[in-house]
Amino acid sequence: MRHGPFIFLGILCAVLASWLGAVVAPQLQFGDQALLKLDDLGIEYPLARNGEAKQGAEIYRAEGCNYCHTQQVRSRGEGADIARGWGKRRTVSRDYLRDLPPMLGQMRFGPDLANLGERQTNATRLLMKLYNARIEMPGSTMPRFPYLFEARKLRYGQAPSTNALPLPAIFAPPAGTEIVPTTAALQLVAYLQSLKSETLFYEVFPPQPPKKTNQVAVAVGGTNAIPTTNALPATNTAPATNTPPATNAPATNASASP
Amino acid sequence: MVLVVLSAGWLLVAGVLSLLAAIKLHAPGMLADYAWLTYGRLQPAAWNAFVFGFASLAGLAIALWMTARLGGTRLVGTGTIILGALVWNVGLKLGIFGLLAGESTGIEGLEIPRFASPILLLGYLCMAAWVPITFGRRRPGEVYISQWYLLGAVFSFPWFFMAGHVMTVFLPLRGVLQIAAQAWFLQNLLVLWFGFLGLAVIFYLLPKLTGVAVPSRNLALFGFWTLAVFGGFGGLTRYSGGPFPAWMLSLAVVANVLTVFPVYAVGQNLLPGLRNQGSALKASVPLRFAAFAFLAYLVAGGLGALNSLASVRYTTQFTLVTVGLDQLTLMGFFGMAALGALYFVVPRLLGRDWPRPAFANLHFLLAAAAVAVIAVAFLGGGQAQGAALNDPELPFINVVKRYLPFASSGTLAQLLFLAGSGVFALNLLLALVACCRAAWVPAAKALVTPLSAEVKA
Ligand code: HEC
Repeated sequence: MRHGPFIFLGILCAVLASWLGAVVAPQLQFGDQALLKLDDLGIEYPLARNGEAKQGAEIYRAEGCNYCHTQQVRSRGEGADIARGWGKRRTVSRDYLRDLPPMLGQMRFGPDLANLGERQTNATRLLMKLYNARIEMPGSTMPRFPYLFEARKLRYGQAPSTNALPLPAIFAPPAGTEIVPTTAALQLVAYLQSLKSETLFYEVFPPQPPKKTNQVAVAVGGTNAIPTTNALPATNTAPATNTPPATNAPATNASASP
Repeated sequence: MVLVVLSAGWLLVAGVLSLLAAIKLHAPGMLADYAWLTYGRLQPAAWNAFVFGFASLAGLAIALWMTARLGGTRLVGTGTIILGALVWNVGLKLGIFGLLAGESTGIEGLEIPRFASPILLLGYLCMAAWVPITFGRRRPGEVYISQWYLLGAVFSFPWFFMAGHVMTVFLPLRGVLQIAAQAWFLQNLLVLWFGFLGLAVIFYLLPKLTGVAVPSRNLALFGFWTLAVFGGFGGLTRYSGGPFPAWMLSLAVVANVLTVFPVYAVGQNLLPGLRNQGSALKASVPLRFAAFAFLAYLVAGGLGALNSLASVRYTTQFTLVTVGLDQLTLMGFFGMAALGALYFVVPRLLGRDWPRPAFANLHFLLAAAAVAVIAVAFLGGGQAQGAALNDPELPFINVVKRYLPFASSGTLAQLLFLAGSGVFALNLLLALVACCRAAWVPAAKALVTPLSAEVKA
């Protein structure tokens, strides 16, 4: 038996098979998944990030935040993600269409950040977290990122800048110095605040026979658009035709497949 | 020989990087002012230095040597191999500097930036092409099972390495499909590349040093093909509960559970040979490494299959268990197998014994202790971490306090492992120096034309 070519072909087929099964088949299934129209004005989900937040994603990647933080929410049956308030629904493939690369993460040394922008709207607190996480959370093991900030000497009598960090006394720099965020820090915070995946659309409802054929989309972006309980999206102000049929309503424990 | 020296160098580099990363995990203030030493950069740098620096280079060195040895022939293409090793080395250095400078691709396991990964592939082809070529010149006769595994490894690497980088970095797929490609890559890296290489070593060293032949060739071939076929599918269990269609996750679980077949086949074939081998184990350092690696393989394989089940993942997902299992495969199984093989190969290459046998014993103890600490602390700590994460009433900082002691023991493990590697490197250095002193010319030759003249010995 000719072993070399035989093994070569065998291994080639094996690698090819797993590639076809694990990568190509999914690509054929939803590789052309489209952005979702949320309203008639042309706003599409996932929402586009502005330039600052896009730069921030690059910093998130470069600093390797994803080695400690995930960006994915599992459904209720699979962990306490939703109970912990990390999201109101599980994340689905559509949530990541604009991410390059998507930074899902495999390790939770820190909390999940998939919906950080929903729960943390205070940019200063995020900056403080990056400067030194122990200011707000004694005992935190989150690394410090002092190099994303600049220590500036103040001339005698000069008033501190408006964007200087309001550091408590024990964390404050020596008198006459102020800590101001660099552009990079501001970009990173813009990115963190853009992390939102709570918008509801048909994929995240429990599987039920569709009553209407038109695409269903509700509750555009805004921070509090989605009620916390299992009720109908009460704040839904979208045009009536976009409202989901009532049977699709219980959205918060949705576990449909993406 | 150049390969061995380079891989030993990388072993040290990886050790230092891992140690720093491990310390950073519990001392966030240490060296915080240096951007390129932040945890999120050190961690991937350490992984890549270990995987592509130490493990892959050592694996290739062993593959080349064993192919020649088992085929009863000389290694051909040594010049190109050395060139390839240097190219690979340059590519990896660029890649790791790039990582530390913040140029990571952001895709775990595939972080090597786009300017470096093609260099690595080029270096790989220069080195590995000679495995099948040397294999083709083998003495006629039966083909050992180790040779199957070696060829399997060598043939699989370029495909998944190239495909993995292309689909995530060069022509990225959309959204989470990149993650599917990444999971597929990682699975192939750990299961096919390191799995095959490590098994080749074990199937060579264990029978050779115990004198007990592998009982069933058919069982071994069964193990080979089942691993090849099921091995690559299971990657997505890493993202259990993740944003993927349910069928993808189910397929991965099924494939992962099926990998118990190859694990069983390997265990069934080699366990009997290890019975009553106490004295042989005591006498031979390579055997001890190989036996340890073999046990680590069985444990990692069994637990890996178990950990793919959704009910287990309920607790273990996103915890230290993931790291623990990866490290058990990488350090406990492959690392130990490769070190055992190096202890076996280097004296035959240099034509002289290890200068300090006591060092080798010490190295085994240190490395084995390191793996044991990681396995116990991370697998156990991951359970604690998972249970804490799943308790929604527990504030997050208390979750941190629960897992921190376990995560910190990573520092101890890395320290032990690094000390062991230091001892190994010292021993290797002494061997080389002794070689040089004994005779200038042959030593220079041994450095420049490694692996070739000695294989006949
Ligand atoms: C070594 C692991 C580690 C790395 C790396 C890390 N973090 Fe953290 N992070 C933590 C831990 C642990 C906590 C929880 C304790 C706390 O809140 O300080 C945390 C908390 C946070 C929080 C607060 C989350 C919440 O729910 O309030 C934010 C925001 C955050 N991290 C952002 C980042 C960003 C941005 C980066 C990258 C620049 C990063 N982290 C890198 C470990 C890490």
